[in-house]
Amino acid sequence: MRYPEVRRQNRRMLLLLILGLILTLVLMSLPLYSFDVGVYTKKSGNTFVGDEKYQAVRAEVEAVAEEYRSQGFDVEIREDVLERVNSKGNTTSLVTFTISERYSRSFLSFLGKKLPSSTVLVFMVSLMGAALVFSIAGLAGTDDLVPRYLNRKGRLLRNLAVTALLLALLLVPVFMLMNNVIFSRRLSLYNADLITEGKEAFFSMLDHFFFDGRMGENVGDVLGGLKIQRSPMAWLLLLTLFISLTAAICIRYGEIKSSLLRGALYVFVVIVCVVTLYPYYVMTITAFRSNAETLDMYFLHMAPTRWVWSNLTDIVQRGVPRYLMNSIFVAGGATALAMLCGIPAAYAMARMNFVGKKAFLGFVIMSQMFSPVVLLIGISQLMNTLHLNNTLWGLMLINAAFNQAFAIWLLRGTFVSISSEMEQAAMIDGCGTVGALTKVLIPMAAPGIVTALIFVFINAWNEYTIATVLISTAQNRPITVGITQFSSFNMIEWQYMFAASLLATIPVVILFMSIEKHLTAGLTSGGVKG
Amino acid sequence: MKKLFALFLIVALVLCMVPAAFAADDVTLDVIICQYGPNTNEWFERGGKGMDGSNFVEKFEAANPGIKLNLEVVSWNDVHQVVDTRIANGNAPDILNLDTFSEFLPDGLLLPVKDYCPDELFNDFFPAFMQDFLVDGEYWAVPDLASARALYYNVDILEEVGIEVPTTWAELRDACQAIIDFYDGEIYPWGIDMTTDEGQAAFAYYTWGNGGGFTDENGAWALNSDENVEAIEYAISLVNDGYTNPNPATQTRYDLQDMFAAGKLAMMIGPNQIPTYVKDKGGEINMATASLPANEGKTSASVGVKDVMMAFKDDSAPDQAARNEAIGKFMQFFYDPANYVGWVSMEDFLPAVNSAVEALVEANPSFEAWLNVLATCKFYPTSMAEWAQVRQGVTTVEQNALTGADVRAELDALQAEIAG
Amino acid sequence: MNTGLNRTKWEPYVWLLPSLLLIAIFVVFPILIVFKLSFSEISKAGVIGGFIGFDNYVEAVHLPAFKTVMLNTMWWVLSVVILSTVLGFIIALVLNQKFRGRKIARSILVFPWATSLVIQASVWNYIIKAEYGNLNNVLLNLGIIQQAVNWRSSYQIEFVWECWVGIFVTVPFVTFCVLSGLQSIDGSLYEAATMDGAGFWNKLRHITLPMVRPSLTVSTVLNIIYVFNSFPIVYTMTKGAPAHKTDTMITYLYMLSFYERRKGPATALSVIGFLILCVCAGIYMVSVMRKEEEL
Repeated sequence: MRYPEVRRQNRRMLLLLILGLILTLVLMSLPLYSFDVGVYTKKSGNTFVGDEKYQAVRAEVEAVAEEYRSQGFDVEIREDVLERVNSKGNTTSLVTFTISERYSRSFLSFLGKKLPSSTVLVFMVSLMGAALVFSIAGLAGTDDLVPRYLNRKGRLLRNLAVTALLLALLLVPVFMLMNNVIFSRRLSLYNADLITEGKEAFFSMLDHFFFDGRMGENVGDVLGGLKIQRSPMAWLLLLTLFISLTAAICIRYGEIKSSLLRGALYVFVVIVCVVTLYPYYVMTITAFRSNAETLDMYFLHMAPTRWVWSNLTDIVQRGVPRYLMNSIFVAGGATALAMLCGIPAAYAMARMNFVGKKAFLGFVIMSQMFSPVVLLIGISQLMNTLHLNNTLWGLMLINAAFNQAFAIWLLRGTFVSISSEMEQAAMIDGCGTVGALTKVLIPMAAPGIVTALIFVFINAWNEYTIATVLISTAQNRPITVGITQFSSFNMIEWQYMFAASLLATIPVVILFMSIEKHLTAGLTSGGVKG
Repeated sequence: MKKLFALFLIVALVLCMVPAAFAADDVTLDVIICQYGPNTNEWFERGGKGMDGSNFVEKFEAANPGIKLNLEVVSWNDVHQVVDTRIANGNAPDILNLDTFSEFLPDGLLLPVKDYCPDELFNDFFPAFMQDFLVDGEYWAVPDLASARALYYNVDILEEVGIEVPTTWAELRDACQAIIDFYDGEIYPWGIDMTTDEGQAAFAYYTWGNGGGFTDENGAWALNSDENVEAIEYAISLVNDGYTNPNPATQTRYDLQDMFAAGKLAMMIGPNQIPTYVKDKGGEINMATASLPANEGKTSASVGVKDVMMAFKDDSAPDQAARNEAIGKFMQFFYDPANYVGWVSMEDFLPAVNSAVEALVEANPSFEAWLNVLATCKFYPTSMAEWAQVRQGVTTVEQNALTGADVRAELDALQAEIAG
Repeated sequence: MNTGLNRTKWEPYVWLLPSLLLIAIFVVFPILIVFKLSFSEISKAGVIGGFIGFDNYVEAVHLPAFKTVMLNTMWWVLSVVILSTVLGFIIALVLNQKFRGRKIARSILVFPWATSLVIQASVWNYIIKAEYGNLNNVLLNLGIIQQAVNWRSSYQIEFVWECWVGIFVTVPFVTFCVLSGLQSIDGSLYEAATMDGAGFWNKLRHITLPMVRPSLTVSTVLNIIYVFNSFPIVYTMTKGAPAHKTDTMITYLYMLSFYERRKGPATALSVIGFLILCVCAGIYMVSVMRKEEEL
């Protein structure tokens, strides 16, 4: 099926694409950065104009300026004096000398330089060219076809055009970020001698970029106080590239709305995942640092300079496996107990009529309404009476009891949503009520039970307050309490604390991932009649 | 599902058999020790390797057959919660290590020191320390260890800016301004910690440096004296003028120490553990100490902190004499230089007994200077019954002042609440 | 619903018994103790004295920070519950779409739930430190900011951070509850609606929302209770500083009890909190359940 109106639209879109690319190139040749280069600053405290110290510093600054002039730079010295009268009535003064010169650079001036961002720019421009070629090739001979009927080659070429433009668009922020890292971060870190690796290569690269390599060794001093001003060109570039991209998408799909929605969906999911994982990234990079590096004052490193795996063996020696075992025992036991008590109760709530049913549900919810912090005295008294102080059993019973509400609520919903016919049949076949429950209902309600199980497990796993008071020997500590030993009066050992926390998170996450499928299925049935 | 339950039950039964019962004839002491440093758990607790490859509990039990220790190291964050809950249930520990003891006095919970402490050990404690534990003619606690606070400054920063170490409040202001000017605010000149856990320390630093303090010369609460108002207003003005770390109400001493170690903070008041801390954190700064700056015409006072050990009464114990003797043995074993020196030096604290001084000075000559500082230190009035409330009260006043409240009105209200 | 088989009158209660015993012994007994304590004199060290009537309550209501703390608690519960419900709902809608990597995305969302609150709060505390926090580190390295930012420049902002952490840890729970509701919706309902010309919003309002309302009720009621009683986040991040201006009720009564050692009013306060919670959660539940029955 060939339509002339499709051809017209495709031509318009191709024109738009080319227009976007041309505009992009124009913008690329306009000034992007202006640099205050050759800035040299010297401060001298407690110095008065004309005194000995002033003369010395002035001479020093003059010498530097002279050196620049000898290399053909037109520099001037500025002098700022900050005077104050202190509490004793004496005058103090701070003298600041500054030398500067200004340069401006556009996108295209990065081409052919040795900066890492130059490579990115080359890619960007090539991608733009490629997109143009692909679009034209993809349209050749098939420009009046509805996209649905395209052959494989046409689809591939048009897909490539879209992909190339999308990549080019994404490379704009990459280019800008790389420049930021070079001109703001790395330069200042090198200049403050906070990092030394690759210093020479870095400065020769900048020398090449700014002065075509004629500054030589002094480039570090010259760029000491580099100040950058950015123009909004990068944002405009995003806009023009986006116009081209839209055109390419239209050429490929015949319309734009659903593709944009799809894109937005992915963007949203990626943002949610990145935000969610961010604290875990921080935990991980901190867990494997040395104690000294946990204090990373100058924001040097996104990852440890050296991965200290011995942190793991250290926490193992300080009792963490024992604490983990205790936690598994308490959480596992509490879960089992909560189920053993909760399932019959939920069954009765779902299948039987009796006086006080609603009251029981209310009672169960009410039992959740005090924070454990508040109940400590009562719980501790109870445990004394029952001789369960400092036992994992006590902790287990408490956790089981505190999670009854959720278990009953959820399981009741699950049971209600399952038809009772099968049980009745089983009972007629001679099973008792218990038999009907264990042989018929429980297997059918497995997803709901698994859900309640994991909820109770996590709650018990993370319980902290009651355990601190109830448990009085190291052997019986659960992991939540065990972790506190890494934050003492003299020192918080972040690396151990986070390493132990990661270890404590992993079992739960693995458990969770393995039953994720059941979990959503289970909640389905549980939620319906919440 | 059934199998899973069965598995849980089996695991549960097996683990249940782990704790072994104690023999019936032994005296068992419940001991709570606070967690001072990374090594506290390993040094004290059963199974630890921090004390020459063994730990305090096992060594003590080997040396004192017939006495069992049920010793627990608790973090400072949780210790009050743990102790108070146990007391509420009549289940107080036998021996407790804490920073105060006065809150336990009104209920008559504590055992007088003379009931368990052998004379030899009693005479070994620094007499000045013991003085603070004397209430109603009876000693109620013994000092566990001490630390002293001083002004730490980054020598390189002060040199580069070209200023001397400030000794008066006015000089401190000048120094702060000079540092701000020189570094364009990149470096915080002065560290202030008015957090919920340490606000009382800030109160002491400034009011003691202005001739004020928590109490008057008769030992009565005098929280709203003119000197105190002036001192707190001065401290707050340092914050408001941008001379300090930005969030004094939530930036703890750790935060300040981290900044100091990284050269981001020029001066701070801190305990004698700072050099060790800075070293552990990989800081390579050139630092020195000086006495705290005081107001013009006032004398500078060092601030000391000492923690305590105390014993609780237990009327249910079958043999009181044997119990007291066991507590005495615990104390003797703990303060035995062979053990105590290791404990104090491990976490870099200052000792509370004379017998430990010699060995400590030998191990670390800089201790001598600190011991001299300690001799002139002032301490918090921890023996007064209202101390816990005062301590939180002054912190609240400081934090309110940080958000703009009037210092005098706040202190007046606090004084009225405490003493009125 | 009855299975129709004959049962004795007391049989249901036998089935309830284990659960009832567990709750009565380990939860209700401590709750009764709290009620008793709130009418008793309690010393600084925690020794429990005799009956003193409503003195503790009077003292609690007259505490200087009482009003601030009540308002904070209200903001805390409202903002965390509402925002995490809305966010969780949106995320659930998205995760209910079919796309590549959906299983991974769901698994990732489970993380914040599987880590204890103390640790979550510590990590965020560590992240937003002004001087060497990781957030500044990352933003500086990416060149998004030029200078370290003080992320906690006032107590209002610190309170917002605390709410953020609260939301962060609550969203997964809501998401999974809503997802379950969404999955139970029959796809043919949507198809029919699309045929009738219903747009996105109409479908959301007339199909999706009614169908997920029961699961939203479960998550909201439980969240109101959990968030109200949430202790570690505020305690770890600010300890209520400055001067209880970031405290919620539960952290305030903790400070009152263990720092200021005024245990009487602290206990009374906890009972007041319980009553407030009963009323709020009760009203919410009754109103929502009634609506459900009407449907």
